[in-house]
Amino acid sequence: MATNALELSHIDAYYGDSHVLHDVSFSCGEARLLGLLGRNGAGKSTCMNVTIGLLAPRRGQVSIFGTPVAGLSPEQISAQGVALVPQGRRIFKSLTVRENLVVAAQKPRDGKHAPWTTETVFAMFPRLEERRNQIAAHLSGGEQQMLAIGRALMGNPRVLLMDEPSEGLAPQIVHEVMNTIRKLKESGLSIVLVEQNPTLVFDVADDIVILNTGRVAVVSTPAALQEGNVDLTQHLGVF
Amino acid sequence: MTFWLLLTVNSITFGSLLFLLAAGFSLIFGLMRIPNLTHGSLFMLGAYFGATFVGGMLGMMFNFWVAAVMAALLVAAFGAVIERLLLRRLPGQQMAQVLVTLGISFIVADFCLMVWGGDPVAVATPDTLVGSVRLGPMIFPIYRIAVIGIAVVVAIALWLLLDRTRLGAMIRAGVDDPDMARVVGIRVSRLFTIVFALGAGIAAFAGVIGGPILTVYPGLDQYMLPLALVVVILGGSGSLLGSVVGSLIIGVLYNFGQALLPELAYFVLFLPMVLVLLLRPQGLFGRFIP
Repeated sequence: MATNALELSHIDAYYGDSHVLHDVSFSCGEARLLGLLGRNGAGKSTCMNVTIGLLAPRRGQVSIFGTPVAGLSPEQISAQGVALVPQGRRIFKSLTVRENLVVAAQKPRDGKHAPWTTETVFAMFPRLEERRNQIAAHLSGGEQQMLAIGRALMGNPRVLLMDEPSEGLAPQIVHEVMNTIRKLKESGLSIVLVEQNPTLVFDVADDIVILNTGRVAVVSTPAALQEGNVDLTQHLGVF
Repeated sequence: MTFWLLLTVNSITFGSLLFLLAAGFSLIFGLMRIPNLTHGSLFMLGAYFGATFVGGMLGMMFNFWVAAVMAALLVAAFGAVIERLLLRRLPGQQMAQVLVTLGISFIVADFCLMVWGGDPVAVATPDTLVGSVRLGPMIFPIYRIAVIGIAVVVAIALWLLLDRTRLGAMIRAGVDDPDMARVVGIRVSRLFTIVFALGAGIAAFAGVIGGPILTVYPGLDQYMLPLALVVVILGGSGSLLGSVVGSLIIGVLYNFGQALLPELAYFVLFLPMVLVLLLRPQGLFGRFIP
């Protein structure tokens, strides 16, 4: 069996004294898209923070293509080819659009994929090129989201983590963002997409993991879930 | 008329020197939020090193500019050590940072007293800049004009570094959102050591440049530090433009105050600082409220 692009095994994580992830295990195969669903506070973002190194798990291991990374610093994990499009976008507000991209540039780890550069990111998001010398704080929400995605791609990652990229965006922009995600998946990138809205994810995901109060509740596929053999409302609430 | 013009040129010269001193302080305080009270000591240490190298106290006379660069590099290394070994352990604890940097400034002051003694030490003016130029009815010492030129060059170099290079953008990214900067692969911790070393090095460079005008003596550190503080509070920390404008304002107030109202010189100096703190606490060009 091929190594998984990302694997979390038996992760226990805490914020101070509060135990937020309980024995969480799931994996994302190479060039696949894993949809990570769950209510607010289910532990989705915590999984992202653990994977990228912002929160060290107390127990368990995180592997990137078989390389263990739990406990490494974010910059070391980033060098392993992991990039994050964080919740709330968190672009560098006082930098220009171009600077936001340039500071995140890293060489690809292998020659297999065409490396992302400012040019290829601008080709994907022409609107960013029009605003290349603007201060990022002045961008619209949709443009900031594109910039956050572009910035993550500049690291030429093998694994892309996206934490609620549709949050707070107009439906038209959400549509664009989902198209972008589809294109990235077709390019062979392994993607973990965190969302609260299952219908968005069912469209693009190969596999689905649902978290409920810090535990893995469901591991399935969109097709199986849409057949209705799992009570989604129990885990996701009304949608 | 001559009196006013001369006073103006002196003000700008002193402002230029203050800029060289305050630029590093503003960089460290504005970007890393560390109130570095060793800054005056780093200035004095640089001046003493410069005097030593230029005066041939090591058995060898160095060119003035070589001495200035050597002093800057030595003190930059010292700054890097302070940041790595001490300040690194006190992230975000401003009171602890104040006490540690104040403590180091006492150690440096005593070290200087031990090595160079209590008598003032002069730094010789570089040979090429000795003498005066005559402009109409006035005579200006060349060196004082040169100091203005040096400050302009340093200001432009710093602006290019922070605003026009990838390194500068990475430093600003690290200030905007340190965690996110690490997530995109920026080694923020190493960058902050570089910033601290750079600020320390510029302070030492300023010390050597100021040497021929001020001479070096015990207490120079505590004389310069409040001036750097006033400049940064007035101009706004972390802003290069703020340092430039703040330095010029303080240079003018200090010189004119001493010439016209000697009894009120310090009052004139600190009054604008009080007004700025009351009305615009982030300073004239500052980005955040300290």
